[in-house]
Amino acid sequence: MANEKKEIPVMEGLWTTPSSAGEEPQLVGSKCLSCGEVFFPKKPKAWCVHCQGTNLEDIELSRRGKISSFTVAMQPAGAFYKGPVPYAYGCVDLPEGVRVETLFTGCDFDELEVDMDVELVIEKLAEDDEGNEVITYKFKPIRK
Amino acid sequence: MKSINEMREVVIAGVGITKWGFYEGMEWYDFGSEAILKALEDAEMEWKDIQAMFHGSCYAGLGSGHQCAKEVGLTGIPIVNVENACSSGSSALRLAYQEVAAEIYDVVLAVGSEKTQRGAIPSKAFRPWELKLGFNLQPANYANDTVVYMKETGATAEDFSRVTVKNRKNAVLNPNARFQKPVTLEEVMNSRMIAKPLHLLHCCPLADGSAAAIVCSRDKLKRKGKAITVAATTLCSAVYGEQYIPADIRKSLKFPPEQGLVELSAKQAYEISGYGPEHMDVVQAYDTMTPSELWDIEALGFCKRGEAPRLLREGVFDINGRIPVNTDGGLMGRGHPMGATALGQIYEIVLQLRGEAGPRQVEGVKIGLAHSMGAGPNSSVTILKT
Repeated sequence: MANEKKEIPVMEGLWTTPSSAGEEPQLVGSKCLSCGEVFFPKKPKAWCVHCQGTNLEDIELSRRGKISSFTVAMQPAGAFYKGPVPYAYGCVDLPEGVRVETLFTGCDFDELEVDMDVELVIEKLAEDDEGNEVITYKFKPIRK
Repeated sequence: MKSINEMREVVIAGVGITKWGFYEGMEWYDFGSEAILKALEDAEMEWKDIQAMFHGSCYAGLGSGHQCAKEVGLTGIPIVNVENACSSGSSALRLAYQEVAAEIYDVVLAVGSEKTQRGAIPSKAFRPWELKLGFNLQPANYANDTVVYMKETGATAEDFSRVTVKNRKNAVLNPNARFQKPVTLEEVMNSRMIAKPLHLLHCCPLADGSAAAIVCSRDKLKRKGKAITVAATTLCSAVYGEQYIPADIRKSLKFPPEQGLVELSAKQAYEISGYGPEHMDVVQAYDTMTPSELWDIEALGFCKRGEAPRLLREGVFDINGRIPVNTDGGLMGRGHPMGATALGQIYEIVLQLRGEAGPRQVEGVKIGLAHSMGAGPNSSVTILKT
């Protein structure tokens, strides 16, 4: 009898899990209450690497942003990456004033452009050795 | 920081290098000890003259320099092993320089050597979850920065393909370079895509190899001929807010810095030496991916942001141009044994200053600059003069 496959996030705490229907997941960052800097992912310690302040709070980030850079990698960096190849990744600027590094999905990679509007999705990255589905955040172009 | 005139003068006593390439069955200590022996011969010194040693390497591991010394002689000297990514070699030179400038020792050896690791290396600059997301493919990280550079400056893939063509042409004149054949613009543009817009021939090839430099006070110099003075050696790490995707650092949108780490390390070197970019007769820029040579030349102050592609087309960076860049083939032509690379750049500047660079000699060289960068990030500038 096969065990039921589990969904395992690539790391805990990167995004929120909706508690009710109609809610969408959001990336979770940290905001420094002294200088206003925003970080993603959230800082593990109450310590701002910009101003060295110690008062940080969690902040849920907007689901939509703009691509600031991208590439399409034709080969993986190593066996620690188990997702599909080629794969596209780059940076997305969110309205809270934070740049997030992310995989891209939901398009022909040739369509990707700087300044393109994109939105957050939670998707499969790969299967782990036990057959579980490793899931991650990604951004996909918004269809007009 | 003290300027060059406020400390004891440090000169290059001798330099050595091995031919860079892939060598089955040889280890870093084989290359390292060979470079040391060549530097001793060049310096007309004996091993017992060396009072301290710094060894740069990224992957050789525990006691890496001690293993090189084991092949040369055991004299009880302090040996410190330096891992500073691709600036390991120049960081070793900087430490050697400081020992002599501070008058702690008179004769100190800096050596960098690498046996290149085969296969994928999980970079320590990325967290485990980022490795799983595939964020540590360095050509792809540089590709991200290249996309920004292209959009900002109008540079094209043809522009950075010309960097490859220039550097591979120079490498043909360097018997120690890994690559001894030139490539055409078409060959570069048609090479396999690695990470859009970077093709294989935009990415520097790895290599095994070593380079060494002995520094000393002027009164200890034995070698006849032109003495080369270390005019500045600087080392900087990341400045807050600057984007450096190869080291997993993204730009701060709220707090971008006034100057980046390359500008900072260059500015400090110009202040310490009393020279500016306009005085440099020969330059070793950091061409780990060919677009980076272009933005590196700009960040070092040789021209404004976005001007390097045009100057390259006009031949300004050729061996017979106004600002010759990477006369020995650079990382693209010479290859990249990570811990040795920065000392290889310094080796080339020394040859150029002495007038010993053979068919790639630039005329009338009096002062030169070498720049290396590494994951961390770090940025290291060395200025040498006759």
